[in-house]
Amino acid sequence: MTKDIFSVMAMSVVDGLPETAGELARSALAGGTPALEAVEKGFLPGIRKVGELWESGEYFLPELIASAEAMKAAMSVLRPALEKGGGTARSAGKIVIGTVEGDIHDIGKNLVAAMLSAHGFEVVDLGADVKLVSFIETAEAEKADIICLSALLTTTMIGQRRLIDLLVEHGLRHRFQVMIGGAPTTRAWAEEIGADGYAENANAAVREALELRQKAAP
Amino acid sequence: MRLIVSLFPSGRRLPADIGELLSDVLVRDGVPLNLYCGRRGVCGKCFVEILSGEVPPGDESERDLAREKNLGLGRHRLACRLRVQGDLVVRVPEQALIPRARILTRGRGREIPLDPMVRKVAVRSVRPDLQSPRALLDGLKAGLGLSALRVVPEALFEAAGVLSEALESDSPVTAVLGAGDELRGVERGNTSSRLFGLAVDLGTTTVAADLVDLGTGTVIKTAGGLNGQSVFGADVVSRITAAFKDMSRAAALRAAVLASINGLILELSRESGVDPGEIYETVVAGNTAMSHLFLGLPVDGLAVAPFAGVFTAAPPLPADRTGLKINPLGRVYLSPNLQSFVGGDVAAGLVATDLAARPGNVLFVDLGTNGELVLKTDRTMMSTSTAAGPAFEGASISCGLPAEDGAVERAVLRDDGTIVLETIGGGPARGVCGTGLVDLIAAFLRRGDLAPDGRILRLEKRLAAAPDLFLTASDIREFQLAAAAVKTGIRMLLEAAALNIEDLNEILVAGAFGARLDVENAAAVGLLPRLPGDRVKFVGNTSLEGARALLLSSRERLRAESLPRVIRHLPLAQNEAFQNIFIKELPFKPWPPDEAPQAPRKEDS
Repeated sequence: MTKDIFSVMAMSVVDGLPETAGELARSALAGGTPALEAVEKGFLPGIRKVGELWESGEYFLPELIASAEAMKAAMSVLRPALEKGGGTARSAGKIVIGTVEGDIHDIGKNLVAAMLSAHGFEVVDLGADVKLVSFIETAEAEKADIICLSALLTTTMIGQRRLIDLLVEHGLRHRFQVMIGGAPTTRAWAEEIGADGYAENANAAVREALELRQKAAP
Repeated sequence: MRLIVSLFPSGRRLPADIGELLSDVLVRDGVPLNLYCGRRGVCGKCFVEILSGEVPPGDESERDLAREKNLGLGRHRLACRLRVQGDLVVRVPEQALIPRARILTRGRGREIPLDPMVRKVAVRSVRPDLQSPRALLDGLKAGLGLSALRVVPEALFEAAGVLSEALESDSPVTAVLGAGDELRGVERGNTSSRLFGLAVDLGTTTVAADLVDLGTGTVIKTAGGLNGQSVFGADVVSRITAAFKDMSRAAALRAAVLASINGLILELSRESGVDPGEIYETVVAGNTAMSHLFLGLPVDGLAVAPFAGVFTAAPPLPADRTGLKINPLGRVYLSPNLQSFVGGDVAAGLVATDLAARPGNVLFVDLGTNGELVLKTDRTMMSTSTAAGPAFEGASISCGLPAEDGAVERAVLRDDGTIVLETIGGGPARGVCGTGLVDLIAAFLRRGDLAPDGRILRLEKRLAAAPDLFLTASDIREFQLAAAAVKTGIRMLLEAAALNIEDLNEILVAGAFGARLDVENAAAVGLLPRLPGDRVKFVGNTSLEGARALLLSSRERLRAESLPRVIRHLPLAQNEAFQNIFIKELPFKPWPPDEAPQAPRKEDS
């Protein structure tokens, strides 16, 4: 497999073309390219490039979503091969995400979930208006690494604090890293309530989550 | 130990407790500090200068804000973040104060038949003759020619004194009668030519009031001012947050807005010679949160999903119970709320524009932090509310301002490629308000500085409106988000009614934002559809105009009260299609007249 094919894979993600990305993944497998190589040399550099384009203001939400969709299409083809091929599909980490109770906004949260999953995180999305205990129960059942809490109202931000308090009460605070976000939240708020991470957009969330996992690594 | 915060240059000395927020100290003493974001430390409007005294350094985000605003390092601090630890000398610059806003008081009126809820009838004598002795109230009833007279409890005591006096002097009295011949009061002498009402537009930012002669239906005088609740934050959400689970704060919010309206009543009285006691009827039109806070009712239910207010239509309330300083026996009527986020101001707008009776398919649009939309078709009426965010009101835009002195409200692109700015008040441009933002973005698109997907196509990643006035990439993105929310609302309403854009006979744009919006530019950036002819109409402050209609006509009240029953609400956020349509609407593009709303594209892999 030539270097050129890898850059075509990357471009299919940068240009947000799910069908092309899926097709490239299939023909890579058919042509004997190891799935791991297709991910690491082809598609992953593509989604990283998307992050850069977002940072520089070139890309906005429609482009971000299309690219995340393309990544998802490629990964759904490659994942079975990754798991079978012994070349373990190393998960970047497991994340339980949702918008806290009393809050029904979920576009921002959906974007964060899509971008995290495009970067190799396993994401369990609980949706919007999620009871705080559900976050904890799911995180325990799924053995999650990070709990991500979104709140879009100044009145529901308090749910983020309450979740951390709940974790402490149940002696579970050390088990999960907690990351928060949402329009009215700030890094200062994250620090005030004792969250481990904060992100103001989907791309920053990927960066923050990767950093959190690195910090947690033994 | 009490500390002292001294104000420079006035020298006023304000007492403060250790650890108290500087903003609380200032606001308590009546400094109209601009706490736009509701004390969250993110809008950067309340920077004050510390002239002397020890203060801890601000955190990183505060330093970023200071840099953004070119403020000197260290000496400028956000009043809402600074806890007072020692005596201070502080200068509060004008930029940190709530600006004087322009208050829109005029709508484009329609004729309302005069049929108020209250009337006055003079009776020459209540003296009974000796052949048939009877009580004074019976004498009044006979004089009024009524078979039954219902006396409201509080009126009995007042009427007793006036009637006894009239008996002695055999002089005339005037009865004040409400609906169903209910006796609200008795006045000495013949005052039947003097009966007044008050129509109030209770806006989140501004309050406007019309003093109306209920005998003729004419507006005697109009007054306007800021809503005194502004010190608790600029938008509805920050007010709800301030009152959330804190009845004493809710009481403070109520007191603030009452002071504003009562101030207007005094001003109107002073300038017209009408005594507040001659005002027997008031109509207040405000959004759901405003009407709740005005009555001192809890807004906790409005703070979190599923967003439930206490009432939609409140019963007419005794004036003295509301705290409004009109005749204590008068009544206060609230324009009915339609839904949690489609309030009495919108209901008043529907009354003012007579939406239900307009021919064909008509879209009513009121743009603010929440974009409220009502679609009337031949078969149905539907409403929805979109969280446009504060971009149209100038917040969340780096050079954003509300519609106030010095804000760019129009920008015109000339043939030579230069942009000419018009500011409110005509002075130098200090920033840009919503309508100016629409014009600027349209101009940048036309000039090729901006790609339709929102990318800035210049090397320098910001766009100059004037030598020292810029739109940044993130300003453009904020505007895209706000506009897309409105567009999505319109799309989904049309889709629910199975209509295309060209099926709309009219679009009515209400509110302060609409008053100066350029139709062409609004269409160029895709905020509103382009319709042939003059089918897009600006209808002005329909909230005040509707309040006036509800004051003048009991029939209009009945029609307004039926609105919550006939209007179907379309919740957006819970709708599956919302996200897909929203994302699709983010780019700047005019509404193609032939494009029907499309089902979301799902590409399964």
